[in-house]
Amino acid sequence: MSDTTSAEQAGASLMPNARERARLRNLRRVKDRLSHWGVATAGLAVVGALGLIFFYLFSEVAPLLKDADVDLAESYPLTATGVQTPAVKHLVLERYEELGATITPEGVSFFAADSGEPTVNFPIQGPSADNLTAFAAGVPADGVLAFGDGKGQVSLAQLNYRLSYPNDQREITPEVLYPLGETPLQIDEQGRSLTHLAAQATSKGYVLAAVTQDNRLLLGRYSSRENLMTGEVITTGSVEQLPALPGGAQAEFVQVDQTVQHLLVADDQSQLHLYDISNSNSAKLTETVNTERGQVTALEFLVGTGSVVVGTDSGSVSQWLLVRDADNIYHIEPVRDFESLPASVTTIAPEYARRGFWVGDAEGSVGVYHGTASQTLMIEQVADSAIEQIAISPINRKMLVLDNSGAVQVMDVWNEHPEVSFSSLWQKVWYEGREGPEYVWQASSGGDGFESKMSLVPLSLGTLKAALFAMLFAIPLGIMGALYTAYFMTPKMRGLVKPTIEIMEALPTVILGFLAGLWLAPFLENHLPAIFSVLILMPLMMVVVGFAWSRLPQSIRTSVPEGWEAAILIVPVLLTGWFCVAMSPHMEVWFFSGSMRQWFTDNGINYDQRNALVVGIAMGFAVIPTIFSIAEDAIFNVPRHLSQGSLALGATRWQTVVGVVLPTASPGIFSAVMMGFGRAVGETMIVLMATGNSPVVNFNIFEGMRTLSANIAVELPETAVASTHFRVLFLAALVLLALTFIVNTCAEIIRQRLRKRYSNL
Amino acid sequence: MLETTDVAETNAPTETADSAAQYRAVVESHDNSARSDAEPHPHDRTESMSMENETIKLEVENLNLYYGEKRALNNISLDIPEKKVTAFIGPSGCGKSTLLRCFNRMNDLVDSCRIEGKILLDGDDIYRKSVDVAELRRQIGMVFQKPNPFPKSIYENVAYGLRLQGVKSKRTLDTVVENSLRGAALWDEVKDRLHDNAFGLSGGQQQRLVIARAIAIEPEVILLDEPASALDPISTLKIEELIYELKDKYTIVIVTHNMQQAARVSDYTAFMYMGDLIEFGDTDTLFTNPTEKQTEDYITGRYG
Repeated sequence: MSDTTSAEQAGASLMPNARERARLRNLRRVKDRLSHWGVATAGLAVVGALGLIFFYLFSEVAPLLKDADVDLAESYPLTATGVQTPAVKHLVLERYEELGATITPEGVSFFAADSGEPTVNFPIQGPSADNLTAFAAGVPADGVLAFGDGKGQVSLAQLNYRLSYPNDQREITPEVLYPLGETPLQIDEQGRSLTHLAAQATSKGYVLAAVTQDNRLLLGRYSSRENLMTGEVITTGSVEQLPALPGGAQAEFVQVDQTVQHLLVADDQSQLHLYDISNSNSAKLTETVNTERGQVTALEFLVGTGSVVVGTDSGSVSQWLLVRDADNIYHIEPVRDFESLPASVTTIAPEYARRGFWVGDAEGSVGVYHGTASQTLMIEQVADSAIEQIAISPINRKMLVLDNSGAVQVMDVWNEHPEVSFSSLWQKVWYEGREGPEYVWQASSGGDGFESKMSLVPLSLGTLKAALFAMLFAIPLGIMGALYTAYFMTPKMRGLVKPTIEIMEALPTVILGFLAGLWLAPFLENHLPAIFSVLILMPLMMVVVGFAWSRLPQSIRTSVPEGWEAAILIVPVLLTGWFCVAMSPHMEVWFFSGSMRQWFTDNGINYDQRNALVVGIAMGFAVIPTIFSIAEDAIFNVPRHLSQGSLALGATRWQTVVGVVLPTASPGIFSAVMMGFGRAVGETMIVLMATGNSPVVNFNIFEGMRTLSANIAVELPETAVASTHFRVLFLAALVLLALTFIVNTCAEIIRQRLRKRYSNL
Repeated sequence: MLETTDVAETNAPTETADSAAQYRAVVESHDNSARSDAEPHPHDRTESMSMENETIKLEVENLNLYYGEKRALNNISLDIPEKKVTAFIGPSGCGKSTLLRCFNRMNDLVDSCRIEGKILLDGDDIYRKSVDVAELRRQIGMVFQKPNPFPKSIYENVAYGLRLQGVKSKRTLDTVVENSLRGAALWDEVKDRLHDNAFGLSGGQQQRLVIARAIAIEPEVILLDEPASALDPISTLKIEELIYELKDKYTIVIVTHNMQQAARVSDYTAFMYMGDLIEFGDTDTLFTNPTEKQTEDYITGRYG
């Protein structure tokens, strides 16, 4: 200090000398640079991280958009597989894509799929090679085969693959089993030759349908039992004759479903006939329809046997559903048409576990389709002659195609996500077993035969529904509260109220969700009249208290410090709340014959315990602090000189609020609402715990919903990585992101325009 | 409303004709601001001012004002004459703005503010319990130091006060807006962009817009709180012109820091210091021959 003083006294400059100043300037420049680069790097890192999130989401979703693709891997003549006859009835490829098999009158011949080298041949027990008149295969996953001969006899065989690992190498041993015994079953007592067959494994045994040479329709139900001691197979069964086709039509194709309820016949007059066979011995023809697409040339059930694919001589490919009407009678209904093939359809190969199927035509084209998604994935010419047989592997990675020239082509297949199309995600889809097209989200189930329903509509609407009801609750409370706090409250009380509400924002939403689901939902259910009476009585009470207060003598009124009048409302608010809850059971007795919930149900309004009302209140609670805080700041920051200018013009405080304060604060209030909305859309825990998660499509306040975010949280941990379901969940995440992005962008545009309009300050 | 039209029509032409000459006068007076005596006002005062000849519009009786425990105004008593310009001058913090805000009860908005004494408007105490403050403020308009147009169009700014009074008729509004803007000498400048945002106007125009807004609701008194302190000399000149024209119709009370301005525009001047009213009298006398030494010290630039 003393040095400085002396320097001052000496009149010398107190600034550092030139060299020192240069050093300090350098130091300053270095700091400046560092901070510049630091800030820039951090900013870019944030943008980069966001970009990576986007990129990751896109990369997970992208394969959904890819169409099917096949590549020729290998080709060899059919004779190379050891089959001498060109009369191949059926072609299969097993799960590891190592072994293929041809089914011919000579037997079941296995061969290496990649080279065509024959491995093992099993002659068919029963009909001899020259006496095989009819053949049928069940749904691919069962591997059931049926052989019919000229004497009205049927043999039922089943393909099986045994796995063993000698020397840690996988070895597949194919076998042909005869679950009904090796002795052929006499399905036609009259011993006529069988022309067409259908076979299916059912939960109780096996079902066989046969058409005889004299055009009779026979249905046989069989079951077998193995004697534990002797190993002898005892087969029991019954055969019934079905009513004949009308108009003397000749049956050309016959199919029977796995539930033994429906038998489907395609005749030579472009007609389809549906038989109800659910009651044995009283089977009846329920419907005959014209295909209107030409003569049927191929007919196959899809997995689950709930729908059938019809191929015709015009090349048209259509899917028909078994639809139950109001009288519980099934009808066969053409639901979707796919892109036609250039020539007459020759063969249809359904996939093992999906609603997809492969179709070949008479000029060598192959089409890939998916039923639920109503998609034609690919049509490609793969051969110069008619396609005879197609075999797709159970994992859909490889297929065998046999054409009329006797060549077997081995194709590598990429067809991972045929289930997803714009229509399956966003439009009404007619699913199997439903009465009409619907929006349904039901992505997984226990069985392979299940048709996954992946409509994003219920989830998106659920998200909007939850957000909407939350906003309905939060916007009035948040903005009104903000207005009062910012404009009418004394600074001291504001200093208490504002931080308290802002602290609510830190409340973990899982606690709110827990309270909402386990306490609020049952409470509301039991005190429904209280909710409605609070809605009416609370504002009424406030007006009454306000009026009474203004009538009180001056001495009492002045005893409350100015601006603290709101505090005296606390007691009446609590009393009114208590009163409403206490009166609730009585009101139910007086007006709703004991239970308001029951009353709703009786009046045709569905009531779920976990519903949009609960979510609206709970999520509204979570959103209020956001809206309140931002809106309060916006209103509080309206310059005093504007409100004073209004007051000085003779405006009342309320006129000033409506005429000047609210319009000026509107950009901020709008942001507050949008921030709240963004939060409500993305909120997960509360909706997860309080909505019931039922993906319904309605805006009933007494029913639940399933939101995109909750759906992702529930299903993502349980789905197989890289499956279609997995990728659709990522798509749901992307939709959520897009939703908030669109909302925020619109909000920002509107906010900017408002701000421009009210900018001054 | 018809009277407003008269004012506007009679004054509109003179405004542009005189402005150049007046501008020079203003610039000179600003240049010579250190000089103690005021320039004679360009509009010569013909008759000499005397309180006895005036009708009293506002009467302040023994007014004390407290901010919490602190007394900001000490026992003020003065009479504001009708249709004259009364100026309050004094150093910063002397209480002149506070006193001005007592007339339209803007101090009510300050929580800790408390008042003793009376202010009578046409003989009625404006601090009576039964007074409707909003109606009082309609009668006594106010213009603030910083131009404060609302974030609305020019038209809506002027129509705002009428809408508050419940006037909805488009025709009435159109007429009043035009008359008020003419009255505030702003019509010619804004008539083609009435529906543009008021923030597009310059500071001086904004201040005249605010005055137009104030006269649209036909007040009896207009309080001006340093209306020209944020403006450039030309805008200041226009405001002063306007004040001179408005006093035919309104009682005007103006607070100003600028003694030359007080001397130019006012008929009566009150000098305040530290919450006390030191001297009040007609402007010529107060500036040329003050009775109090404090007044003389202030106007000769000894402090303030």
